[in-house]
Amino acid sequence: MSAQLEQRVDVELPTEPSAVGRRPVVRWAMLVVGLIVTLALPWFVYPPVAMDIAAWALFAISVDLLLGYTGLLSFGHAAFWGTSAYTTGLIAINSGLPFPVAILGGAVVAMLLAVPIGYLSVRRTGIYFAMVTLAFAQMIYFIANQWRSVTGGENGLQGIPKNLGGLTDLVNSDSFYFYYAALPIILIGVFIAWRTVNSPFGRVLVAIRDNPARARALGYDVERYKIMAFVLSAGLAGLAGGVFAVSHGFASLQELIWTTSGKVVLITVLGGIGTLWGPVLGAALVVSLEDQLASSGFNGTGIITGAIFVVIVLAFRHGIWGTARNGINAWLRKRRQGARSD
Amino acid sequence: MHRNKSLALAASAVAGSLVLAACGSGGPSSGGGKISDDKVVLGLLNDQSGVYKDLSGPNSKVAIQMAVDDYKAKYGDKAVAKNIEIITADHQNKPDIANTKAQEMYDRQKADIILDVPTSSAALAVATQAKAKKKLFIDIGAGTTALTGAQCNKYTFHWAYDTGMLAAGTGGALVADGGKNWSIVYPDYAFGQDMTKSFSAAVEKAGGTVQQKIATPFPNDNFATFITKAGSTNPDVVGIMAAGGDLINFVKQYNQAGMADKARLAVGLMFITDIHSLGVEAFKNTVFTDAWYWNFDDQNRAWADKFKEKTNTRPSFAHAGNYSAAFNYLEAVQAAGTDDADAVVKQLEGKKINDVFLRNGEVRAADHNVTHDVYQVKVKSKDQVKEEWDYEEVLKTVPASEAYAPPSPDCKM
Repeated sequence: MSAQLEQRVDVELPTEPSAVGRRPVVRWAMLVVGLIVTLALPWFVYPPVAMDIAAWALFAISVDLLLGYTGLLSFGHAAFWGTSAYTTGLIAINSGLPFPVAILGGAVVAMLLAVPIGYLSVRRTGIYFAMVTLAFAQMIYFIANQWRSVTGGENGLQGIPKNLGGLTDLVNSDSFYFYYAALPIILIGVFIAWRTVNSPFGRVLVAIRDNPARARALGYDVERYKIMAFVLSAGLAGLAGGVFAVSHGFASLQELIWTTSGKVVLITVLGGIGTLWGPVLGAALVVSLEDQLASSGFNGTGIITGAIFVVIVLAFRHGIWGTARNGINAWLRKRRQGARSD
Repeated sequence: MHRNKSLALAASAVAGSLVLAACGSGGPSSGGGKISDDKVVLGLLNDQSGVYKDLSGPNSKVAIQMAVDDYKAKYGDKAVAKNIEIITADHQNKPDIANTKAQEMYDRQKADIILDVPTSSAALAVATQAKAKKKLFIDIGAGTTALTGAQCNKYTFHWAYDTGMLAAGTGGALVADGGKNWSIVYPDYAFGQDMTKSFSAAVEKAGGTVQQKIATPFPNDNFATFITKAGSTNPDVVGIMAAGGDLINFVKQYNQAGMADKARLAVGLMFITDIHSLGVEAFKNTVFTDAWYWNFDDQNRAWADKFKEKTNTRPSFAHAGNYSAAFNYLEAVQAAGTDDADAVVKQLEGKKINDVFLRNGEVRAADHNVTHDVYQVKVKSKDQVKEEWDYEEVLKTVPASEAYAPPSPDCKM
């Protein structure tokens, strides 16, 4: 494991856009299907679980931004998710502001926290970067645990309200409505991630991931780009954490503990890193699997998700989405070649 | 490019219509009949796999089933609740899981009431959900006074015991018995913090002093450093505020460290299942407060015999408490003629109850604390034990008025 981590994260982001990505029609069709599924989700899935899937998807995308596109494996992203969850909760409880404002506040605080942490940790790569981020996350965890007057310690922060001006009663009456009220925040987060990846800034990140020395030689300030990516990623994790906290009406130490950092990395790798769609798929799979297993009274959820993870990593190195995309591309190429030779 | 635009338009049209349709259909449905969904669903939310499994856990389902059977036998064809279903879930003693599970039980599984919920932090989370969903919650397994204090609400009742009652019984008695200097070791969450506060107050009121208050993680396995620290001031009494599996671990390590001869052990909260798993020798002469003891009188014993037939073990007070809470809830449904939460709450408030669990019981309307007579007991020595589970000697019955503090001014319904 450690030997692998020290190596550069090995994803092939195709140098030319893939057939799937290159064809705008396919791309739009995928987007439409994705949007419809997202909007229809709470009809088929218990709405709070649907909200969890959406929040974890954005959280995983934030990790993917670092892991897949910048080549940094953060093992302490729970710090930003959890910090935002607590901050969102405190703002919502104490000020009575609408929840999107509280979530935005949480995300800003998560980004502010990411500046010093990023500054100190991006100088390292691979396993060292993972360990430094983990150490910072543990510090935040213990601060939250001890700072009882603010965070509630082991009891957690309870009774986070879902305020939304005139719609407060509607949103509170059923988690079904809350899903639609909070979904735009998630979608904005996903859009920011998508814009980032498909911008010159995103290209530089990929260049840094693939060959930091060459990027530096070309005149890019590698550290600064990494810090920017780190802060941006923390902001997205913060948005997701805020939505999660408001959805549950509750922020607890569970949001900050290292297993949460582990779970989000697992989701990202499972779905396929460097794909953006992958983390979404991974989140849907892991969250609904956990829900299914928990309600069936089965206690060993970890065994199942762990086993799936091992199989995916061993057999499908690019994750579920990565493998599927490569398969489709290969098939399309073959067909095109076949058509040409006719 | 044209094509893209039209596709985008189509997408937003589809999305928009979906949202509109969603607003029309997905709303909460209000029950038409007297019994919502034609059945009464009792939700048991507790620790099914961890440190509190034995003291309540799966056997509480048996106790609740006994309550359902007794209710059906009592009312027969006249029973308002014809279909009664019991559902269970494991909250793993974590407040976040309890919070999610409670939400699911109320919304998804249509639970009319949630019962038990040990672990105070989890209980407070469920109380918050009960308030939000306007559904009943009767807590049995948790001890925090916050449930009937600052965080009390209309739909939450606290049935069996609280930390104030335990401290009044045990703390004061030990100081009077010569244990002036105390070290308190407590698990660092709502229950432990609350117990420490209550015990410190009781000890100081009786003229003792608390020299140290030592926090430990929860749940925890290794207590060695905390035991050494507790012994460092040569206290007369070491008070341990942990419960269930953690208590068992602590007492084992306490005896191994040879502390038993140096300082007297006071246990804040103990269940008979704890004594059973370690044996009476480990707890020799320990005095504690019990909410109910199976071998106290014939009525208790008869119920305990029935319980033993089904589970092959004797009931803890939490099992009897679950039975009593479930039975009285069904009685309230019967009296109200509906399972509507507000009507049932009205039936329960102020009710005076005498049953197998509650003696001189009263559901206080002011704070929804259920007060009743409790027992100061001593763990028997080995040669006094006549049969299995015969572990406790009742020193005295503490009347409800002495055991429970008056309603807290923090509680605003």
